[in-house]
Amino acid sequence: MKENPKPRTKPRTKPRTLLNKRAIEPYIWLLPSIVMMGVLILVPIITVFQTSFSKISKAGKNKGFAGLDNYLWIFKQPAFRHTLMNTVVWTIVVVGLSTILGIILGLVLNEKFHGRKIVRAIVVFPWATALIIQSVIWKYIINADYGALNTLLIKLGIIKSNVNWTATPQMFFAWECFVGILVTIPFVTFCVLSGLQSIDASLYEAAEVDGASFWNKLFSVTLPLLMPSLTVSTVLNIIYVFNSFPIVWTISKGDPADMTHTLVTYLYKLSFTNQRVGEAAAVSVIGFIILAVCASIYMFMTLRAEKED
Amino acid sequence: MKKVLAALLAAAMTLSLAACGGGGDKSNTPPAGGSGSGTPAPAPSGDKVAISAIISQYGNYTQEWWTQFEKNFEAAHDNIDLNIEIVSWNDIYTVVSTRIQSEQQPDILNISGFADYVADDLLMPAEEYVSDHVKNNFIPSFWESNAIDGTVWALPILASCRAMFCNMDLLNEAGITAAPKTWDEVLTACKAIKDKFGDSIVPWGLDISTDEGQAAFAYYTWNMGGGFVDANGDWALNSEANIKAVEYMKQLIDSGYCNSAPYTDTRYPLQDAFSAGTQAMMIGAMNMVKADSTVNYEAVSLPGEGIGLGVCDQLMVFKNDSAPDQAARTEAIKAFFDFFYDCERYSDYMVFEGFLPATLDASEYLASNAEKHTVGGSGGATGDSEYFKTFCAQLPDCQFYPLSESKWIDVKNGVIEAEQQVCQGQISAKDALDNLQANIAG
Repeated sequence: MKENPKPRTKPRTKPRTLLNKRAIEPYIWLLPSIVMMGVLILVPIITVFQTSFSKISKAGKNKGFAGLDNYLWIFKQPAFRHTLMNTVVWTIVVVGLSTILGIILGLVLNEKFHGRKIVRAIVVFPWATALIIQSVIWKYIINADYGALNTLLIKLGIIKSNVNWTATPQMFFAWECFVGILVTIPFVTFCVLSGLQSIDASLYEAAEVDGASFWNKLFSVTLPLLMPSLTVSTVLNIIYVFNSFPIVWTISKGDPADMTHTLVTYLYKLSFTNQRVGEAAAVSVIGFIILAVCASIYMFMTLRAEKED
Repeated sequence: MKKVLAALLAAAMTLSLAACGGGGDKSNTPPAGGSGSGTPAPAPSGDKVAISAIISQYGNYTQEWWTQFEKNFEAAHDNIDLNIEIVSWNDIYTVVSTRIQSEQQPDILNISGFADYVADDLLMPAEEYVSDHVKNNFIPSFWESNAIDGTVWALPILASCRAMFCNMDLLNEAGITAAPKTWDEVLTACKAIKDKFGDSIVPWGLDISTDEGQAAFAYYTWNMGGGFVDANGDWALNSEANIKAVEYMKQLIDSGYCNSAPYTDTRYPLQDAFSAGTQAMMIGAMNMVKADSTVNYEAVSLPGEGIGLGVCDQLMVFKNDSAPDQAARTEAIKAFFDFFYDCERYSDYMVFEGFLPATLDASEYLASNAEKHTVGGSGGATGDSEYFKTFCAQLPDCQFYPLSESKWIDVKNGVIEAEQQVCQGQISAKDALDNLQANIAG
């Protein structure tokens, strides 16, 4: 009877120490990453917030606390209001259309046909090429005086004289959206493809047995099962497209008359061309908040939907 | 044991990361030579006085010339430790701004524009750092363009001026026998070229982009009797002449006489088009035509008043109250300027970079001795005295941007925006310039 407690107490004390060590170990391994994130992400975010409430001279001297002056100045600028609208349009159009086109392309590339591997490789090209290079190429393609598009259309006999493809700010912006869609499609396509390949073929067989049409299968089997992949690609695309800089800056630099800016190019111009660092930081904070709110709402809705399912 | 090692490794990684982050400034400090440009005070290294300079990168070989300069300077001044850092134009304003925020500004800076530094009380008057010989040797208009309320805050380092370039073969073929001398003649020549060549030749190159839209404003307003400021030096952005000038730009666009995207076409594709012979006329810098171009062109004074745009970058001296020996620092900076503005050495730099000198003796010297100096990165090609003779003669007649005005950056961006709004038809020239004048002067 007395021997019984001994084996009970011994195993209890040893695992506790082991447990403590095991509990700490992951954090030790994570520490470098946490420190790195702190230095490279948190510090800049805090600095930008601080700067947005500071008066920074054009020479770069911090002249102290400015309160909400930078924000008030920003909200008074017609260019800012226009930029905000552009950013919403840019994000919705580029993410929305590239997602629709990416789904269609993904469905096509999931079918078996000759040369499928080559087509898949071609689809990857725009994704694998630097954005800045693609933007520069498109800028020259659409140039009215010496661009390839006019030359091609004249040689094909479609037009007789040069067409100015960028005559208005709206046309400029439409081209930028077009390039944005073009470079975003591959990412969505491959997210969709990976999602499609994880769908069990027996589900389609069962649907066919039940007499489901192509559209029935698409809306009742394919798209619901693609949702996790689409959620990831859409959230990443919203963040990525919202913050995209090279396309707009390379093609128009926000011109004419600041009519084609998105928030990122506008704050860059404010900071590095107009030397208004405090105001640029305020725009940056506004963009950060918008993005954080959008991403949070989207994630919240998605998680709630998954929970309900 | 493995766990102890793992913990040590993790700790070491953390520490090394912390060291990388905390040592950010160290990366800015050049590996050799006393206090670098990342050091606030020109602390004596041994018996030497250390001074630092940030120089703008004008070309691919700027570093090469200044490295040799640094060696020669230190050989001639064994009590001075000079540290030169070359920074590209793309980064220089950001680099300087960051240094100012962290109070690590250099002793000497080469950049364009100084009024904002004066406004923040960061500069010393440059006139106190040059000998009378150097001071009296600057082309007077250049020297005066760097003064605020009678005090000269910066020294002109180099200059370039703008002229109107005409492809004479194209003009002749279109029936125009001489380069236009008035703005009406420009329109006539543009019409003749458009009628003759259609879409294949762009008659006139116009750049009202963010890159240099303020230069276009200067070309047209100065030569139609207007400008940025009036005779008293007050902003006069909405003068009648300026309104007329902006309307003229719109006329060029609406008539189809210029490139189709003047809002985004910078001078570089326009210069390329001119050099390739697909654009008949434009206003540009004196060295804008490519060396291998076969275009038969003439570079002439701008139409109208014939006023050229002079572009002049500066050298300036930053304050440094923490310098241990102010007198020694002042002497070292004076020695730097004396050494740099030595006629032959300065002329050598002008030929090397392809710019015009801002000093009288170098202008005279290069008009007949440019062949003694080589062009940077040219594989031994020498300067052309005739070129210097032609363009140096135009320099005294050049006008400059009002860089000494602290609102210059706002004006510069404002005139570009006004030009673009007017040319897009969003607003009339009068309203756009009235709004700008109210924002700036009001």
